[in-house]
Amino acid sequence: MSSEERDVGEPESCPDCVRVGLDSLALNGREGEKEGDDLGNGSVEDGVGGTVEGLGVNGVVAGVGGGEIEEVWDRNLVDGRREREENRGGEIEEVGDGRLGDWYKARAGGWGEIEEVGDEKLGDEHRANSEGDVEGDSSASSSGYAAEREKGSSHSGRSSASEEIDDGEAAMAAWVPGKRHLDEDEASISWRKRKKHFFILSNSGKPIYSRYGDEHKLAGFSATLQAIISFVENGGDRVKSVRAGKHQVVFLVKGPIYLVCISCTEEPYESLRVQLELIYSQMILILTKSVNRCFEKNPKFDMTPLLGGTDVVFSSLIHSFSWNPATFLHAYTCLPLAYATRQAAGAVLQDIADSGVLFAILMCKHKVVSLVGAQKASLHPDDMLLLSNFVMSSESFRTSESFSPICLPRYNPMAFLYAYVHYLDVETYLMLLTTSSDAFYHLKDCRLRVEMVLLRSNVLSEIQRSLLDGGMHVEDLPIDPVPRSMSLLSQLSYQRIATPTESQESLREAFTGTGGPAGLWHFIYRSIYLDQYVASEFSPPINTPRQQKRLYRAYQKIYASMHDKGVGPHKTQFRRDENYVLLCWVTQDFELYAAFDPLADKALAIKTCNRICQWVKDVENEIFLLGASPFSW
Amino acid sequence: MGLTSAANGGGYGGFRLCVFDLRRGHSEGQELDKILFFYPADLPFSTQLSVIGLSEGLITFTRIFSPDAACEEIEAERHSHVFYEAEPDIWMVMVVEKSKGKEAIWRLDALRKVLKEVHSLFVMFHGSLRSLLEKDPSGGSLRSQLFIFIMDYLSDFLVSKKLHLPSFRDSLKERGTIQMLTIGREAALEVQSLVRLVESCTGSTSCHSLLMFQDLMVSTTFSPDDTVGLFVYAVQRLTPRVLSTGLSSWSYVRKGSASSASFLGTTAGGGGPLTEQFYGSYDSFPDENHTYRVRPLQHEKWFKGKDGFLVNDSWQSENDNLVPTSPTIFLQKSDERMFFCVYQYKNLTLIFTVPVSSIVNGEQGLSNVKQLILENASLKFSKVEEKLTKGWGGENAYHVSGYRYLLVDGDRNNSRASPLTKVATLSKESLLALNKLRQEVDLEKSRVRWEAARYDKDLEISIRAKNNAWVIARTCRGKELYMVLENANETVLYASDAVEKFSNRYCNGAFSLD
Repeated sequence: MSSEERDVGEPESCPDCVRVGLDSLALNGREGEKEGDDLGNGSVEDGVGGTVEGLGVNGVVAGVGGGEIEEVWDRNLVDGRREREENRGGEIEEVGDGRLGDWYKARAGGWGEIEEVGDEKLGDEHRANSEGDVEGDSSASSSGYAAEREKGSSHSGRSSASEEIDDGEAAMAAWVPGKRHLDEDEASISWRKRKKHFFILSNSGKPIYSRYGDEHKLAGFSATLQAIISFVENGGDRVKSVRAGKHQVVFLVKGPIYLVCISCTEEPYESLRVQLELIYSQMILILTKSVNRCFEKNPKFDMTPLLGGTDVVFSSLIHSFSWNPATFLHAYTCLPLAYATRQAAGAVLQDIADSGVLFAILMCKHKVVSLVGAQKASLHPDDMLLLSNFVMSSESFRTSESFSPICLPRYNPMAFLYAYVHYLDVETYLMLLTTSSDAFYHLKDCRLRVEMVLLRSNVLSEIQRSLLDGGMHVEDLPIDPVPRSMSLLSQLSYQRIATPTESQESLREAFTGTGGPAGLWHFIYRSIYLDQYVASEFSPPINTPRQQKRLYRAYQKIYASMHDKGVGPHKTQFRRDENYVLLCWVTQDFELYAAFDPLADKALAIKTCNRICQWVKDVENEIFLLGASPFSW
Repeated sequence: MGLTSAANGGGYGGFRLCVFDLRRGHSEGQELDKILFFYPADLPFSTQLSVIGLSEGLITFTRIFSPDAACEEIEAERHSHVFYEAEPDIWMVMVVEKSKGKEAIWRLDALRKVLKEVHSLFVMFHGSLRSLLEKDPSGGSLRSQLFIFIMDYLSDFLVSKKLHLPSFRDSLKERGTIQMLTIGREAALEVQSLVRLVESCTGSTSCHSLLMFQDLMVSTTFSPDDTVGLFVYAVQRLTPRVLSTGLSSWSYVRKGSASSASFLGTTAGGGGPLTEQFYGSYDSFPDENHTYRVRPLQHEKWFKGKDGFLVNDSWQSENDNLVPTSPTIFLQKSDERMFFCVYQYKNLTLIFTVPVSSIVNGEQGLSNVKQLILENASLKFSKVEEKLTKGWGGENAYHVSGYRYLLVDGDRNNSRASPLTKVATLSKESLLALNKLRQEVDLEKSRVRWEAARYDKDLEISIRAKNNAWVIARTCRGKELYMVLENANETVLYASDAVEKFSNRYCNGAFSLD
């Protein structure tokens, strides 16, 4: 889109320093159109309220419509009708819109539509309704929003500290979902010092999402970002990144959507770019790519209402960028289970998959228990990551069975699928994906069947046990070749009970007494054919969230270094700094990343890596989902 | 031909280099005032201003988050922009195009060193940009000096009408460092007494000297920063090799391109419009209010006089434009003008500086000093030269069989590397992998720089690349070692043994683990 079409003007709410930049850019700096245009101040309040509501109580459901995306937009944008329902009891409530598909009637409570957030077009009645909800929610404060708000202000209180502010780190131990520091904007020193910002904006410079601060107050800043992107674009180029001291600004343009990350976390450009891609895909998961059409119709289209209440989804995804290896490995991980147990789960999923379910996925937290796809359908690990993030971050899915339109960006970015989601226990949930918008009752039946079988065959209790036991511990790495019959699970209990063999003992004593043999602290093994990875449990000395995050970042860096687009992939890498010895080994079949004590002996470390690979092969039945893989089609 | 066609047809690959002052050109209509230098100069001013506008905008933008360190790099799909704040608020920005050909792969830190180098050389001969702006607030004389100076400098990178900037092929080189000659104890003593003798002949306590053997440094009494500047200049313009062939060993890419024809000559000569455009708009043609016009980087200007002292007639007296005077320079941390004297005897080059103020009779006094040196030190020169030549192992003296390496001592600003002919045997893949690895290390180093608590990063990275070569980087207590081992065994242990052996034998164990 040529910039001439867009508005040209001065950013209105831009502080001087930003404006100087714009002046000299001579930018078609477009005004970051003030939300006030559409919403009025009162509505902005509402918007915030809506977000609160999204945070606290319910997840979000994107478009609503009889499977027809156009209809969704028509209804949302043209008709502009907003309904709100608050039905947390899990009771099915009928909402009056004749055009909605049956599934909509079956919609379980707890989720509202996106559009409803703070829009002036809301009737008074609705507004009252919505405000009521806000009040109700904030008093319930289930997300701790009130507390967060206080936190925010206390932050600005100590904002003069010269340290960069790293939210993720500070709050990692007790990470609270949802948006924080809403009181901040580009003028706040605390906001400027945040270690990692993420922004989504439209190509007309309208803010869509900001990790910190209220989007509406960041209109001027958003316009600046847009100006930089379009200035370079006008010169026939496309800006990828800007580096300044410890800071890096990374840009990603996706049609009418611009994504920007500003970070001083030392993560490589490639990692930050992948994170922006994931954020974009998460947005597509909620809205589908058809959202582009809104911009085609109206370049100044304001998308914030469409995403209202989804802050929690994005913040949880962003949080996962600092702990979940799936975000850079592009692979998923399984909950360790006895082969037979996983087989049993797989069998019942296969049963229902044959009855018109596209994908049946049983997960426990972010780990897969089993998953089955209909013929020829394959699920990309990134889609799984985004789907499970969507489900886990939205409180409403936990409280009742839900049927929600979602889009799998890697499967088909243009269309909605419908996800039936039900939590079988606190951590374990079943997701049934279908193309049919009226399959709710059928999927409910399927779920009942699955639940019954899982209960009867003790799969659910095995899952609980596995959660308690954890997966592979570096301390348990066999020193002597383990008899092949020894499984991970029996080994787990064996190791716990039996005293270690003498040789193990002596070898361990030689190395500081923490971690595994030869100073092994942690490893990640990724199977290329399976698209799966297994990471060892964190053991001392990697036992604080800060240390875990640092190790995670080190892995991320070595991953980027190994997989450089220009010269990679490399075959082996040995890297020693003041924190670790990292060994990475990439073959056609697998990738191994292992972290050792920085003083570890090289020869022993290499031997240990070979042992890890052998160990993983020995227990692959239990740590990976084998066979019947939907990826092998 | 030359610049004009380059600018129109993008002959220099979309290369841009600009110098601008953030303190100038704020009022409307005065925007051009901020431009101190722009290459190609015949680009429309609107284009020049847009390049500078983007740079300025990003400097301002990045300061929101990073007040202490503004924009250093912009990476775009087709171009890389490298920033260098040469003096407070005076910025240099280089834009290079990533052409489709794979040769245009840069390491931005290496490009930044080019900017740094040209600036420090300029300051050495002319003084700081800010001080020149203060003397002539119109900026006219600075613009003309910068233009001539930078164009002369860039001509070193010109090979068959193409600019060859340091690329991945230069990964085993470090710009802005000194290469030393290793000498025995006896020779060192001889050198020391020679240096003392020369310095005493000048009769000034603030005389400094730098002695070179071919392109390698033997001794210096200058400050580290001055040493680097003088060494770089000597290698580019003064050493016997340059004087005899007109080729600088630094710009080895130029080997084979016989013509060292002046870049400026072809461009400015053929580009009458260019000069007009560049100067005309500022109504102050330099010569009108600036009394001397020095071109220290002009090729083939230095030649050896009968007495062994090198002569360059581009320095002219401030009072009389036609009378050449002895070259002068500024040393860092002093505003004092120094006479810049170079004496050459066979492979030896001696640079020494004496404060202009300490020589009583000006030119005459200086030639007396030179005469005194010739009388007292000639014998010593030949003795030292003989000794060093005897001990010199030749071009491949620092080649280590099986290794392709670069060793940098950041504290002493010196480096040693495999000979260029040996580096040229490496495959492109290996060099690309090394280039990438060096970028990673550059990033780590710059992070350390911005850490509040300064500490030297101890880092060891060994990568077995796709082509089975080992690409290795080690940093330890301010020293860096980069290595490529092709045809090597696949285990990490082999690679680290190789580094260990090298470290013990050639680096006094600086990188050894024990």
